[in-house]
Amino acid sequence: MPETVSRRSFLKAAVLAPLMPALLAACRRADDKRVVNFFNWSNYIGKDTLPDFSKRTGVEVRYDLFADEDEMFTKLRAGARGYDLIVVGDYLIPRFKSMNLIEPVPAGTLKNLGNLAPRFRRPVYDPDETTVPYLWGTTGIAYNKKKIRKAPTSWWDLWDPQYKDRVSMLDNVRDCISVAMQLLGIPQTTRDPEDFRKIRELLVKQKPLVKQYSSASYLNSLVAGEIDLAMTWSGDLFQTARENPDLDYVIPKEGTYMWVDCLAMMRGARHREDTLRLIDYLLEPAVAAGIANSVRYATPNLAAQKEVDKVLLKDPRVYPTPALMKQLQLHHVLDSEQSELWSQTWADVKVA
Amino acid sequence: MGKALSWLLGGRRPLASHLLLAPASLWLIFLLIIPAGGLILLSFAKNGPYGAIVWEFGLHNYARAFDPKYLPVLFRTFAFAAATTIVCLVLGYPLAYYLTFRAGRWRNALLVGLMVPFWSSCLVAYYSWMIVLGKEGLLNTALIRFGFLSEPIGFLYTPFAILLGLVYFYLPFTVLPLYASLDKVPRSVVEAAYDLGAGRWTAFWKVTFPLSLPGVVAGCVLTFIPCLGDFLTVEILGGPRYYLLGNLISNQFMMAQDWPFGSALTSLLLAGLVGGLWLYQAWEKA
Repeated sequence: MPETVSRRSFLKAAVLAPLMPALLAACRRADDKRVVNFFNWSNYIGKDTLPDFSKRTGVEVRYDLFADEDEMFTKLRAGARGYDLIVVGDYLIPRFKSMNLIEPVPAGTLKNLGNLAPRFRRPVYDPDETTVPYLWGTTGIAYNKKKIRKAPTSWWDLWDPQYKDRVSMLDNVRDCISVAMQLLGIPQTTRDPEDFRKIRELLVKQKPLVKQYSSASYLNSLVAGEIDLAMTWSGDLFQTARENPDLDYVIPKEGTYMWVDCLAMMRGARHREDTLRLIDYLLEPAVAAGIANSVRYATPNLAAQKEVDKVLLKDPRVYPTPALMKQLQLHHVLDSEQSELWSQTWADVKVA
Repeated sequence: MGKALSWLLGGRRPLASHLLLAPASLWLIFLLIIPAGGLILLSFAKNGPYGAIVWEFGLHNYARAFDPKYLPVLFRTFAFAAATTIVCLVLGYPLAYYLTFRAGRWRNALLVGLMVPFWSSCLVAYYSWMIVLGKEGLLNTALIRFGFLSEPIGFLYTPFAILLGLVYFYLPFTVLPLYASLDKVPRSVVEAAYDLGAGRWTAFWKVTFPLSLPGVVAGCVLTFIPCLGDFLTVEILGGPRYYLLGNLISNQFMMAQDWPFGSALTSLLLAGLVGGLWLYQAWEKA
């Protein structure tokens, strides 16, 4: 049917022709300008960090935010392109590697890598140093001193019926499952379905007390008095407490895990050289200290510690004493089967 | 393929109708049929290491979907959708009636008033509701101020907040078909009922209401069906204890990284929706 063919090609031409100049111009513009596209957690960088970088190098940083790691991963694996640099939690790194989403930082390209504390070099979750540690912190309990008279001491306080409807839990598989494991005495290495049934049961049992599962908006709820007790990440609470002195943070007596968020270069990043330059810049002692002072998480940058706010440096909940530091464990690096068990258990808890 | 395409673009009708249909057909093909086909295909695949998709086909995802642990979610979803539909109908019918018969010259202004909140992103609307419903929010402050309450009530994250959000968002879906069908009720027929001695009440129940039934059914279908897939309302206003089918599906994609299972759940929901719409069309034709 020659008629159909001509009609179709006519349509195609009719649609595409007016767009062509615009498309070409867009491509050229994107190539000309020096930019780095950076995808990071919200409230996770200093106010001047990126403007200072742009001023010094002339490279524009397009900064994009996420409030949920799982969502970020889903977005990237679904094919969101165009990011050069992302921040990834330690536990997600094997997943990003297995899905070929990130690319190693070439050895020897970062002159400031030596600023990192030895503990953060060649870590178990990333032995080949594909990524670069950015900030680290702990997971603990936030509470409102005015509303909760007896300071919480244990993870079990989050299961205490007297706090019904006043509790919030992080909407995060790693933290919630690992706390349940800690309370049940189950090792993180398990792959026994019976263990995961118990974990699910424990977390479902808590649900009548839980007002929200959230990794970001619970901080507003805490300030607004909607909740009074929350599982939290250390720095997020310290940031919020800056303006709300009634809020405080405890590390429960059962202990907690430490986690490390890392900078990773996306596979096929279009602006490699400037991305590496930005990573190296973020490793500079003054810059790293500036970020740490502003977001109130700990910096893995040993050389930066001289410039870190003394109050933060002396707070063992931000920078644990060497003795405490020894007790702080990293999460077990999950293989894909364990990872699926964790995720599926968590998804089941959420809809129970 | 060429034949199918030319059929979709208007069959053997003149060129003009092909061209008129082309944007809609292309939209449908690229944004509905191809993605939905991909989703259905994916629902038979297997979940591999770290959520990679393994193309080994089977019915395992569908078998999992019928696990009894998901029954409460299904039940809850139907309950919320049904409750929303009923509330929307109870609120929407008098509203549509007023708009049609009583609003007079205000009619267009009121219709715009009904639509304007609907044009704003529902994300913005829900966040505004959070401000209203919070413990230190407008509603609690007002109730305490006027002495109706001594302690603030947690309105947020309750079934009430979910229902409120759903009704708020879906009300126009109910009202507009109702309005359209009430508007089509011939005034002369209603007047004839009065002439034959019917009171206002009898005239309404025996004449106006039966004639507006197609609008009632269309309004209910247009409210109930999208409600079944809603997840944002619960995500923002609903708290953790009332997750619906939409949240279960979104969790499979976002959290569990089990896309094949999420696709199977979506396909089932899709099948239910298409089945429901088909029944509705069959009813309409009958």
